[in-house]
Amino acid sequence: MFAGWTGAVALGLVGLLALLLAELIVGGWRTFDRFGLGFFLGREWNPVRGREAFGALPFIFGTLVTSAVAVALAVPVAVGLALLLNEVRGFVRAPLASFVDVLAAIPSVVYGLWGLFVLKPFLDRHIEPFMTSTIGTVPVAGALFRGNPNGPDLFTAGVILAIMILPIVTAVTREVVAVVPRELREGALALGATRYESIRMAVLPYARSGIVGATMLGLGRALGETIAVSMIVGNVPRIGASLFEPGATIPSWIASSFREATSVGLHRSALMALAVVLVIVAFVLAALSRLLVRRTASLVSGETPGAAETEIPKVTR
Amino acid sequence: MSKHRTWIAVATVSVLAMIGTACSSDNGNGDSGSFEGVSLTGAGATFPDPIYEQWFRDFRSVEPGAKINYQAIGSGGGVEQFTAQTVDFGASDAPLQTDEISALPGQAAEIPTVLGGVVVAYDVPGLKTGLKLDGKTTAEIFLGAVTKWNAPEIAAQNPGVTLPSTPIAVVHRSDESGTTFVFTSWLASQSPEWQQKVGADKAVQWPTGIGGDGNDGVAAGISQTSGSVGYLSYDFAVTSNLGTAQIKREDGTYVAPSIESISRAGGILTFPIGPETNILNSAAPGAYPIASTTYLLIYENQTDPNKGQTLVDLAYWALTKGQDMVQQLNYSPLPEKIRTQALNLLSTVQHQGSTIQPSPAVKG
Amino acid sequence: MGRLRAGRRWKDRAFTAFLWACAFLAMVPLVLISVYVVSRGWRALSVNFFTKEPAGPLDPSAGGIAQSFVGTGLIVGMATLFSVPLGILTAIYLAEYGRGRFAGAVRLIAEVLLSTPSIVAGVFIWSLVVVAMGTFSALAAALALTVLMWPVIARAAEEILRLVPQELREGALALGVPRWRVILRVVVPTAGAGILTAIMLAVARGLGETAPILLTALGNDFINTNPLQPTDAVPLRVFADARTPVAALHELAWGGALMLLVAVLGLSIAARAVSSRQQKRMT
Repeated sequence: MFAGWTGAVALGLVGLLALLLAELIVGGWRTFDRFGLGFFLGREWNPVRGREAFGALPFIFGTLVTSAVAVALAVPVAVGLALLLNEVRGFVRAPLASFVDVLAAIPSVVYGLWGLFVLKPFLDRHIEPFMTSTIGTVPVAGALFRGNPNGPDLFTAGVILAIMILPIVTAVTREVVAVVPRELREGALALGATRYESIRMAVLPYARSGIVGATMLGLGRALGETIAVSMIVGNVPRIGASLFEPGATIPSWIASSFREATSVGLHRSALMALAVVLVIVAFVLAALSRLLVRRTASLVSGETPGAAETEIPKVTR
Repeated sequence: MSKHRTWIAVATVSVLAMIGTACSSDNGNGDSGSFEGVSLTGAGATFPDPIYEQWFRDFRSVEPGAKINYQAIGSGGGVEQFTAQTVDFGASDAPLQTDEISALPGQAAEIPTVLGGVVVAYDVPGLKTGLKLDGKTTAEIFLGAVTKWNAPEIAAQNPGVTLPSTPIAVVHRSDESGTTFVFTSWLASQSPEWQQKVGADKAVQWPTGIGGDGNDGVAAGISQTSGSVGYLSYDFAVTSNLGTAQIKREDGTYVAPSIESISRAGGILTFPIGPETNILNSAAPGAYPIASTTYLLIYENQTDPNKGQTLVDLAYWALTKGQDMVQQLNYSPLPEKIRTQALNLLSTVQHQGSTIQPSPAVKG
Repeated sequence: MGRLRAGRRWKDRAFTAFLWACAFLAMVPLVLISVYVVSRGWRALSVNFFTKEPAGPLDPSAGGIAQSFVGTGLIVGMATLFSVPLGILTAIYLAEYGRGRFAGAVRLIAEVLLSTPSIVAGVFIWSLVVVAMGTFSALAAALALTVLMWPVIARAAEEILRLVPQELREGALALGVPRWRVILRVVVPTAGAGILTAIMLAVARGLGETAPILLTALGNDFINTNPLQPTDAVPLRVFADARTPVAALHELAWGGALMLLVAVLGLSIAARAVSSRQQKRMT
């Protein structure tokens, strides 16, 4: 009986997602109907009456680019941090872990304000010109780092996102790393390996898919960050040639346009269609990351994937 | 049995008493019998937000019960919520367009409240404020056709001014706004190329430049990159430290934006307010060309008498006493003639067929 | 270790240095942000700030943002009220009863909802509730937050419940106690502090959310306790006030940002404290 009740609530959660998708699809329907596949590939966003054209590509581009920058910056730091937390003794571990969790708790709007008033000027004045004169000179790839460093840009948004996703990537990586049996590491150490070598040989190979899973989780979080990005990315529907150009991500665009978008005409519907794109991508990433994190657990414990019924036990903090 | 009857009697009396109190409690009248106003919710334009907030505060000393919650979500949002009737009144920098009017559940009065203007602001090394620009050149800058500050088009209008060869970086609004509507409408009136390529609306597809969220975003964008130019509402430009351009009028003279020059433009506002109504390019001497008014949107047929009364009183007060304080916040008051016509517009607001007259409290 | 070839030792040292550098890199933004927000926001804190409603742009310090605090309390309070029972019941299902594909699907969906961008929750509830009700409301905002908080509590609580030793359950069941009683009277209380931690962390998240409230609560300049009316919230007010042309209002925005920071930090630290007490109970 009780089981039935709890099962019903769990079903409710499933129903919630279904309802969410349904509402968004219904809302975006007029746009999908009018533009079809062109919506995903279109580069124009023009809400002017009589000239309406809506294409999601610039926002998909901006979302992917900022998230890629975020992941590229955050994952190495997160892995390093996770390994460190796994190595150090108690009295350093607890406060350090706490600090990282606190980063996760800072509200998005605070990140946005700080990013706007502190990080952006710093990056614009010091880091970006430096990058232009160093990495920017590399042929081909360097083009990404050229251009006017001033003003809002995808790179700055990527940096802020990196800081914001650091906690979750670190947390999941920690768990993945901790699951690797100590015996493997101790064995390597007993054979005379240095700490670095023992980690490289005994931990990382097993943790690899888990780390990828953690990366995807971080990626998912980066994709969805709204307010902080909205305040520093520039909100221009454009596909730029360099990271130092402004752009827009799907959530930042929805946040800045939604309240003003009128339902007379397609504007609001187009924004809901954008939301659908976002949910689909989040879904795919969540599924993938779960798969990868589970694979690590089963690799390590020697069971075949799918046979395990329990989740990876969470590391005690 | 009799116990039951007593119960029913007591219950009925209490219910009647409660209904009686409920009916009399929210009629907005205070002990003295004068109308005290009721709570209202409004949403819309960000441009008049500071003056509206101040007005609504001060109005409570006249009608203490009138708690007016105004949220500046933008002109488009204001029209949207007004149409959906989720708010009691709307506010828009642009007059209602034809399709918006047909989407409304009823006739709405668009009441001009205050004047403002759009300023072309810039941050260029070595350039002081007061650079002279005409509509055509401004359009070309925002089209991306004129790309350097020392371009011949600009130099021709500014003899004797040393113009740097800095590239021009354009900043525009990324969110929908009435300010954009006014600015692009003016550009469209000055440049057929702009009209054809971009058009005029609360949000357009900008050919070039970066976007800033809100006036503050644009101001920040301009000040952070030297060589930038953008457009801001006047009240915002005044408090920023950016240079402001003098704009060429149709009669060939250049005028700088100021409370005075914006006020002079107000005289050409024509009633009834229609989708094309604007006060751009006013021929009045000394009038600033990129001036605009902002409108309060009120349904003509008010179903709630108390809300209707509060709305009429608010509008009346704003058009009379309220005009005295607008300059403190860098807005321009309506010219006398326009003010009177706006007050007349209020007589279209009625409840059950009879016009709602402003209360004695506001008329006195 | 005995003598190592220089290259191996160097690599080891460099690696250790890298690890510590990562820790440093993680700390730097935290310190910078906290210092900055405090420095810009502390001046706004006054009695007026917490107890009065906004006083108009000509004299902002005569007023405050009391209505934002009340509104946040109302919205987050309701969201917690909705999402805690829902989350815990879902967690109980997943930890105690769930087997096989349905449970797996529920977990996956919880994770999808967990990583759903908050703006999507806002758009969803706007479309479903605000339009249907014909008004913006605290209730709609609370529902949007529930969409975000429910899966967080469900997943975190599930993990905690799993940590409760199986022997406790089996012992009680062997005594003939019905399953549901075992769960409610034995398992959940044992996991109590851990579940409390999960709730506190979810609330901390809800407090700081702006995007879902942006589209559902509208905002209010007055204190509102009616859940069916538009309401203000601290993140909303910070977002709006930081961007007005009236410079004096910026200070209010930073004060609000400071209070948000204090609240979520306080909750996180408290959650940690509770969690380590739980540790000691369970091990």
